[in-house]
Amino acid sequence: MSGWAIFGQAVLAVVGGGIVGLVFRGLDRKIAARMQARIGPPLRQPFLDLGKLLVKETVIPKTAVAWVFSAMPFLAVLASFTALLYLPLGPFRPILEGYGDAIVVLYLLAVPALAMALGGFASGSPLGVVGAQRELVMLMSYEFPLAVVLVAVAWRLSAQGIAPAFSLGTIAQNPLWPWVGPLGVIGLVVLLVTMLVVTPAELAKIPFDIPEAETEIAGGLMVEYSGTYLALFYLADVVRTLVMAGLVVAIFIPYGIAGVLGLSGAAAAAVDFLFWLFKLFVVMVVAVTTVRVGMARLKVDQVARGFWLWGTAASLAGLLLLALDKVVMG
Amino acid sequence: MKEKRAQDPNDPVLPAVEERELVYGGLEAGLGEVFEVPIGPIHPALKEPIRLTFKVRGERIVGVQVRTGFAHRGIEFMGMRQGRNLIQILYLSERICGICSISHPIAFTQAVERAAGIEVPPRAQYIRVIISELERIHSHLLWAGVAAHELGFDTLLHLTWRVREKVLDILEELTGNRINYAIPIFGGVRRDITPDQYPKVREALRYYRGLLNELLDAFLRDPTVEARTRGVGILEPKEAEELCAVGPTARASGLRKDVRQDRPYLAYPDFEVKAITPEDYGLTPMGDVYDKIVVRLLEVGQSIEIIEKALDNMPDGEITSFPKIPALLAHLKKAEGEGLGWHEAPRGEVIHYVRLVSGEESPLVWKVKAPTYSNLMSWYPMFEDQEVADIPIIAACIDPCICCMDRVYLVRDGKEEILTKEELLRLSWEKTRRMAR
Amino acid sequence: MIFKTLLSQALSRPATNKFPAKYMPRSILGFLAKVQEGKARIHPPVPVPPKFRGKLAYDREKCIGCQLCIRVCPAKVIEFLPEVKKIRIHVARCTFCAQCVDACPTNALSATPEFLLADTDRNSPNLIVE
Repeated sequence: MSGWAIFGQAVLAVVGGGIVGLVFRGLDRKIAARMQARIGPPLRQPFLDLGKLLVKETVIPKTAVAWVFSAMPFLAVLASFTALLYLPLGPFRPILEGYGDAIVVLYLLAVPALAMALGGFASGSPLGVVGAQRELVMLMSYEFPLAVVLVAVAWRLSAQGIAPAFSLGTIAQNPLWPWVGPLGVIGLVVLLVTMLVVTPAELAKIPFDIPEAETEIAGGLMVEYSGTYLALFYLADVVRTLVMAGLVVAIFIPYGIAGVLGLSGAAAAAVDFLFWLFKLFVVMVVAVTTVRVGMARLKVDQVARGFWLWGTAASLAGLLLLALDKVVMG
Repeated sequence: MKEKRAQDPNDPVLPAVEERELVYGGLEAGLGEVFEVPIGPIHPALKEPIRLTFKVRGERIVGVQVRTGFAHRGIEFMGMRQGRNLIQILYLSERICGICSISHPIAFTQAVERAAGIEVPPRAQYIRVIISELERIHSHLLWAGVAAHELGFDTLLHLTWRVREKVLDILEELTGNRINYAIPIFGGVRRDITPDQYPKVREALRYYRGLLNELLDAFLRDPTVEARTRGVGILEPKEAEELCAVGPTARASGLRKDVRQDRPYLAYPDFEVKAITPEDYGLTPMGDVYDKIVVRLLEVGQSIEIIEKALDNMPDGEITSFPKIPALLAHLKKAEGEGLGWHEAPRGEVIHYVRLVSGEESPLVWKVKAPTYSNLMSWYPMFEDQEVADIPIIAACIDPCICCMDRVYLVRDGKEEILTKEELLRLSWEKTRRMAR
Repeated sequence: MIFKTLLSQALSRPATNKFPAKYMPRSILGFLAKVQEGKARIHPPVPVPPKFRGKLAYDREKCIGCQLCIRVCPAKVIEFLPEVKKIRIHVARCTFCAQCVDACPTNALSATPEFLLADTDRNSPNLIVE
């Protein structure tokens, strides 16, 4: 593919990703509201919020380290959108396929969290500092299970003799479910559950919204951000939700329905793309919306202990089961 | 506090601006260093202004400083020297607290009735009990919702506040307003509960009886709520006793302390109220936040029982011994003496002291002790060695009512001053001497 | 766990009363103008019970000018008009305790169920009863 074609697709994906992300955030808020017996905001509310933030004054506190403080929102939003370009978009291969693989996505997912932590430290507010410390602890605890999930799946693929195993495009084209035996299925389910638990942590949503924790540290690392910068973080968060859901879909449920419906060509691509969006929506509702309305916020030490102990154990168990399955199945 | 004003009533009493600049560590404050985290006077976890300055190492609290005085309204002062008569002061007392908006009038009317020798007809006593127990249901549900919100569990907040609507509707039906019921008056109550209202109240009670198990289930069997509240903010029974904690704060530590049980008043002797501790739910009292949830939810059940009993045994007769307001005003103006009134508010014991002098419309002295005033000190042992994440729920677990409590603020020469115990004693002796005069 | 409750609430109607409209209108004044024209409808608030203590009503004919209401009013809402021996009520200050209603010897005062009293001017005709 030529550079210009990739650029064009990337622009399309970024604009589309932003819009879809905001619509999904609207749906998320609406569904959460209905679960709480409220009416909730109209679907367009995230767009209004973003627009309002963009026209508001951006304040940089006197105590802040100004250049770090202002650079971090851009870093977060860039990393989030870049991660989107490494994702298989339903029937389409990842736009930046061949320029990096699943490990890059892992790093790109960690960058916004790091950016937020640095921004919190640089904000000069004690609440921001507390939030940033929490964010770092969280990052250290949930990244390992996430990495193990990816490695386990990629390793099983490469054991099957498929290359490049670490490309998300390849992973999405070759779902593991049909090849593995019963042990492998159990392993994959364990990995899927781990991934679904990591998702709200990655997105800092209740019960893992510890770095922001509105009632405890008043928004934590976001406390000093306002105007455009806050809008950028908001956008990064919205896109990250898409990316995480997309990751779950790409690894575990990459199936389309065009084949079942007997479609082909452009119609098939369109139907599969819509179906992919629907899958993202389902993953979001299950892993983010339902969880965040159904639980209380945990404490950072509880989360760290939980992920180090249970997260690690579960992901390693999944890996082990996949390995055993390979041995059994030959 | 009032001493200052007694010396010079024209002296403008303004809170001193704290001219202390906290040096916050930004990037410099690394992990492991002690730095200060100010919570309040404006903070999303606090519904009312109070300043808690925490010394924090990482996530651990190593020290706390509580500073009050941001919401001092001078209500007692307004009642004592501003030419209001007692009926007007009654509505002032109602506005000490927006949530326990019958607890203060009940304590105040009792104090005045004792001072002026006014009898309250039995039916009026029953109505006062019913309204105050309805208020307890609404206050405890409100607290439960706030507590859930502090834990980040907004669904429970929405759930409890939605079911709280029912009791507010009943209060509106019985008294004419959802809060600030304006129901007691010296010598009785202002509105009767008519027989056609009984079924509505009973229906609401049935609704809450059915709901109580669901609420107990939602709060006490939720793993995340348990993880956040078990072992958090522990108040040992000994500490609770030494720091004079009152209300659910003390009862959660296992102290069977309840004014309705220890010094029954109004119609409460008829109901034989027993103070509720977590033992009644089959738990060993630990004094943590979880126990405080248990106690408050069980008290909702207790209030339902009391109201049902009261409705069943409601005596007939007058609802006030002074149906004509001019007669009441004349009697109150003639009255001379002092009286103490008490009530178990949802947050604990409320005490009002009133001293009336003959020929004066307003009392010579009016002293209010709100429950939060007693409970505030129990924050210190509760915060000890807890985490930053626990601050909101520990702060909320005593159900603080800062504005009710904030009635003392000492300013001398434009600067805020802290009194020692000896100075306070000396001031109180001087005041007693002045009053005895 | 609460998930059963969540499911049942998600499948039933929201408990919120949609007063005055389901969503915040783009322009409140525009919405009110539309209501005036009859193009939009204000969703009614939750009804109040019959003995609700709302805005005071005053029967000028019955008033004998005894000033008892002025004596008991905690918020100094009521102004005496000495030349006509009648009263004027400033509702903007009222705390709605209705003690004056109890005190009035001739039942000239009463509490109405009206409670939507927001106004930009505390002296607007809507907030002065006389």
